[in-house]
Amino acid sequence: MNGEAAARAGFRRGAFVAPWILAVAVALLVFLTGAFAPPYIATDFVLKLADSGLLLGILALAVAFLMSQAGLVTLGAASVYGGVGYLFALAMSEWSMSPLGAGVVALIVVLIYSAILGALIIRTTPLAFMMLTLAAGEMISHAVLLDGLRDYTSGADGLVVGFRGTFFGLEADNFADPIRFWPIIWTSAWGIALAVLLVRRSRLGAILRATRQNEERMRFSGFDTYSPRLAAFVFVNVIAGVCGLLHVLNSGFVSQESLGLGVSTNALVAALIGGTATSTGPLVGGLIFAFAQDQFGARGFTQLLTGLAIVVFIVIFPGGIVGALGNFVRRIGGGRRREVD
Amino acid sequence: MLEIDKLSVSYGTVHALQEVDLTIAGKGTMHGIIGPNGAGKSSLLDAVSGRRRPTAGAIRYRGENITQRSVAWRRRRGMARSFQRTNIFQDLTVREQLSLVAWRLGDERVGDVIEAMDLRDCLDEKAGRIAYGVQRRVDVALALIGRPLLLLMDEPGAGLSAEETLRLFQHVRDLVDEREIAAVVVEHDVDAIFACCGVVTVLDLGRHLATGSPAAIRADQRVIKAYLGSAA
Repeated sequence: MNGEAAARAGFRRGAFVAPWILAVAVALLVFLTGAFAPPYIATDFVLKLADSGLLLGILALAVAFLMSQAGLVTLGAASVYGGVGYLFALAMSEWSMSPLGAGVVALIVVLIYSAILGALIIRTTPLAFMMLTLAAGEMISHAVLLDGLRDYTSGADGLVVGFRGTFFGLEADNFADPIRFWPIIWTSAWGIALAVLLVRRSRLGAILRATRQNEERMRFSGFDTYSPRLAAFVFVNVIAGVCGLLHVLNSGFVSQESLGLGVSTNALVAALIGGTATSTGPLVGGLIFAFAQDQFGARGFTQLLTGLAIVVFIVIFPGGIVGALGNFVRRIGGGRRREVD
Repeated sequence: MLEIDKLSVSYGTVHALQEVDLTIAGKGTMHGIIGPNGAGKSSLLDAVSGRRRPTAGAIRYRGENITQRSVAWRRRRGMARSFQRTNIFQDLTVREQLSLVAWRLGDERVGDVIEAMDLRDCLDEKAGRIAYGVQRRVDVALALIGRPLLLLMDEPGAGLSAEETLRLFQHVRDLVDEREIAAVVVEHDVDAIFACCGVVTVLDLGRHLATGSPAAIRADQRVIKAYLGSAA
């Protein structure tokens, strides 16, 4: 067989591998490498930064989903993220619940809270929605400082959240140690990203996108435009809740700071950096933000970083880093295809 | 099919429609509504389709008072509309938007609409990137999905040439005949209305002026004076 024939045969063999099988194989390889390699090559400090980067990335994923699918910006994600930590601690200390039971209760409370809040605010304009989520978040943030709740929340001092027993078969040390926490947060990030991807590609995702584009036409096409947006709002709050649970398990501490507007805006900026249109973008954005914040923060330039990132990723790269990379790859692919033609 | 009883629509102190009575017959009817600017044509369609709440009066559709019913409710029961300004999903492909609406309305024969509106060549194009005339057809196609019983069309010829408008009207006329539906068409192009509609209503300054066959409307002195002038 000459070279040309071999190449042709190779091409034919390759053609039998369906693109989705290749994609799954690559994804599996990246997942396994990402889960197990970093603890061998990165220091504890770097892993700790990566852990917090992925936590921020998951929160950013929730914020980005609502932005890209429903055209709504929430500034109250942190109130759920931090609120879950308080609920988790209270359920264990006040109601003597197991860690798993406390986590489930905390998420059920988030679900009920977001369903009620969403039912009240989802019909408003995008600007009013953003401000109302901010208002709700700020009220919750202030509530933990109230004297009447001080016995439960420890006010500005925050709560140390330790647990005995296991959470999904894992002991507290597994969450507190950055090396052992890495596979947990990495797997959680992939699971949540996959869930977001599936919802994006579902009928609900299509309805949300169409409603964002033209709500009136949706109503005139027989669609209820309220319930899908409410479902999306509850969905992102549950993601924020899961993220908050992972955060409190990892840090063993929750304070008013984790409920504040700063965490919500960091998630928003991370989503903009990575790109809101994909499931990977916000996670990449979270990692970049965490490492950049470490570098800039050490020099006292955190606000400068935030400001610069907002300008650059709104004006120059509106699709974020992942969006820009995707465009670049498509352009190269298009160029090659033209050469073949 | 549709009975409009003393319908009034106001925008603040402006009375767009004042105590209009109108009956739209059923199957196979193409009913044109004409009148000068500010006559209340679009307000009438907005009130009937649920886009705007009437200030007084009642709308009965297939015998049921639907004055307070939501837009989506009306659509699911066979009342569809297209818009004066193209009202489609600009960032979705033609196929995506037709499929989505067909899914909602349980219409498995969306291919018929694609054929009827001649959209086969642009199915995978994003709607915002296709020619305006084709966008108008997508707008009408979205209204035709779900096999509506009553089709409300607000100036379907807006932005189209006289020739394109007539072609679109012929499409609609054929659909009305084939599917035995009723269509109410608001339009400035009186030639297209007279060519395709069996019944024509004229509104003037928010009031009902006349209803009749195209020939009767052309000959009506009140209509000539208020609207048609030399066009008659």
